[in-house]
Amino acid sequence: MSEISFSIKDLTRRKFQTALTILGLTICASATLFLVIFGNNLGFEIAFLTIGGRLTSGFSNIFFRFVIVVSLLNIFAGAFITSFLVYMAMSERVRDIGVMKAAGCLSGSILGYFITELSILVFLSCIAGTVLGIGIYYFSINFLNFLGFSVSQVLSSWAVLLTFLVLVFVSHVFGVLPIIKAAKVKPAEALSPLYSLGTTFKLGKSVPSKLGFTFKVAYRHLVRRKFATRQAIVCLAVVLTLTTVTIAGGMIANQTTTNYVERAIGRDIVLVGHPNLTGRYVNLLSQFFEAKEMESINYLDPDFLISESVASTLSNISGVRKVDSRIVLEASVLEIPGIIPDPNDPKETIIIGDSRSDKALILGVKPELVVNEWLIMGRVFGKDDQKSTIIGDSLALEMFDDAQNQSIKVFEEIFDIVGVCLDPLNNGKVVYMPLNALSTELGQSGYNLLFLKIDPSKRLQILAEIENELSDKSLEIVELNETLDKHVKFLNNIWSLVMFLPLFSLVTATLCLLSYLMLSIAGQQREFGIMRALGAKPRSIMKIVFTQALLITLVSGAIGISVGLFVTFAFLIPEPIVSQYTLFSVAGWLLLALSLFCLSSLYPAMKAVKKSVVNALYSV
Amino acid sequence: MKKTVVLASSLCKQYQIGDLTIEALKNLDLEVEKGEFVSIYGPSGAGKTSLLNLIGGLDKPTSGKIVVFGHDLGTYDEDFLATFRCAYVGFVFQSYNLISTLTAIENVAFAVELAGWPRERIEKRSENLLKLFSLEHRANHFPAQLSGGEQQRVAFARALANNPPLLLADEPTGNLDVETGFEIVRILEKMKVEGKTVIVATHDERILELANRALRIHDGRIMGTNE
Repeated sequence: MSEISFSIKDLTRRKFQTALTILGLTICASATLFLVIFGNNLGFEIAFLTIGGRLTSGFSNIFFRFVIVVSLLNIFAGAFITSFLVYMAMSERVRDIGVMKAAGCLSGSILGYFITELSILVFLSCIAGTVLGIGIYYFSINFLNFLGFSVSQVLSSWAVLLTFLVLVFVSHVFGVLPIIKAAKVKPAEALSPLYSLGTTFKLGKSVPSKLGFTFKVAYRHLVRRKFATRQAIVCLAVVLTLTTVTIAGGMIANQTTTNYVERAIGRDIVLVGHPNLTGRYVNLLSQFFEAKEMESINYLDPDFLISESVASTLSNISGVRKVDSRIVLEASVLEIPGIIPDPNDPKETIIIGDSRSDKALILGVKPELVVNEWLIMGRVFGKDDQKSTIIGDSLALEMFDDAQNQSIKVFEEIFDIVGVCLDPLNNGKVVYMPLNALSTELGQSGYNLLFLKIDPSKRLQILAEIENELSDKSLEIVELNETLDKHVKFLNNIWSLVMFLPLFSLVTATLCLLSYLMLSIAGQQREFGIMRALGAKPRSIMKIVFTQALLITLVSGAIGISVGLFVTFAFLIPEPIVSQYTLFSVAGWLLLALSLFCLSSLYPAMKAVKKSVVNALYSV
Repeated sequence: MKKTVVLASSLCKQYQIGDLTIEALKNLDLEVEKGEFVSIYGPSGAGKTSLLNLIGGLDKPTSGKIVVFGHDLGTYDEDFLATFRCAYVGFVFQSYNLISTLTAIENVAFAVELAGWPRERIEKRSENLLKLFSLEHRANHFPAQLSGGEQQRVAFARALANNPPLLLADEPTGNLDVETGFEIVRILEKMKVEGKTVIVATHDERILELANRALRIHDGRIMGTNE
């Protein structure tokens, strides 16, 4: 009999097992493919936002890093689970291999038969998974657009091909292992009804009797089926790492980015200035979520200037906590090369920088009165820092090689860059510098914009007083809270879209656990039959299956969640902001995920006890 | 006064395999009294295992009645049958059917743990039974580490752990060599002496000679009785 015809006949004879394996593999392959192409699509969307003049480079970096880490983890987890399911399916063929060996079949032929069978299973599942994954992808994009998002369809054929090849390759590598192992088993061992590939005769740690009978049987079963248990734990740990990164990472990153924006813009800030200039400032601030074309404007028009006396009057209003007086204007800035130690030879130095120039928003501020509390890489400048600047993240990333080791030229004067801040203003293309230095450069005193930090509890009263003070002047007041809320909403929208990934990861993980349990329980049917013959009630069997799932979930949960949190805090988000509410939400979601995993074991458990005792007892 | 332990009347059992209906038992009548040692013999596929499964409450009849210790087993749900098996029946299978993930002593303890015995009593009972079957030195070995004879002795120890009033054995010497088979015959002999009700499906002449009654079963019907 040829290898192909043997394999096809063998697979069709074992209809249920074949269908279960193909189904499990198809689900994993489709979910993995979906997550990779959807992640790729999201990456494209974020890049599109940045290129389109929205979202600062610093923010898009956070989104990018998140999507890349999640996509990589997805493909890793998918390949792991797929290969594990193949391992489980192939482990069950040990007895057949024993029969073939006993009948005189050569090891080479056995390997040929079963590797062909493995290839058929893997290719069928991966092809079906690819088709299903692409289908789910298109459905999801249309569904998201129906919900009001605006996501373009960018199906990357290389991502599809790469995922398909990785899944096929890894499944073969892992699937061949048990076949080779099984081919080495002595026929007498393989034929024994008690032999199971990957089991151990070691007793393992003794189980305290107080933990009860169900726990002991479940624990023993897991310890004895050492290899399968270890594989399952590793698989689930990877999946739970992914789940943790997506849930915890997603929620914390969302809160963190929202917090960055709030700090950069400031809450309860009232802008005072000439209507042309306040409108301009709000537009520059809104570039983050709404790119707009703007005409050129003379920021230093004498009509726009505000005197020191106005600032002083406003600062005396009760409830005005701080008055941040600024000169704001647009100008060209030039990158000044820097000298840093040579990374290849620390004794030598190299010059970095390319003398690039760009247009930026220059803001002259009094360091001690600044209302913003940006996230800064580096430091803020102080009262005496006359030759220092803080620049925005987009300017730093687009115009400099290593901004903090370089300088910037503004109006023929060179300034040190002491910090890089995450700022949505003008999409991160900003330069903050000491007001005195800017005034000297411009040869002009006074301000053109005032930022008032007010007490929110007396908002209406304060606004009325400010309006009263400004009634005879051509100045208007604009509350920045509305613009800030638009920023937060924009960020929430992006995260809602990105958080579509964890939702699917969670479903994938549950389906994979379900597939594992179905295969695992199919392998334990006979033992369950024996237990029931001896008087174990169906409830007891369900408890045993549930306890097995619980033990595996808890162990893999402890590993996966720890690794996931480590990845989140160490690599994903710089200076994460975690509130108590977020912590509780993350804990709640993770608990929900773990519960979902455990509950998913109930279905195969119910299937296990649905079989009659006699059928279970005589199942091989 | 004699007490009936097993009463089967017009017992039928059919199995459906695809389109094929197999009649394993056809209108079978049987009565077994307390303390009786009954052997059932007959060719493969005659219905011996099906009959033992019905007596033990592992399966339900297609029609007819099977009453064991006063319980009409065809009318109960799976939970009750599990409790019934645990309390009344000890099973010994041809292929031993030990739980591969538990050691010898844990296999023996399994049945009594299900019955909810206290920890110390379970340990004592399991150790005593293993000693009784000369297996104390194999207590912490897994089934795969035991010989066929040892596995079958563990299976007997497990079947007797609850001290059930009825022992059902399906070809208990079927997988054993002559020498090891003798050990099993001696165990059954001891049970007979102790007055336990035993029903054994067997081809083993030594067990057949031991029985109070030997029923010949063929094509799902009892064809004759040797007393």
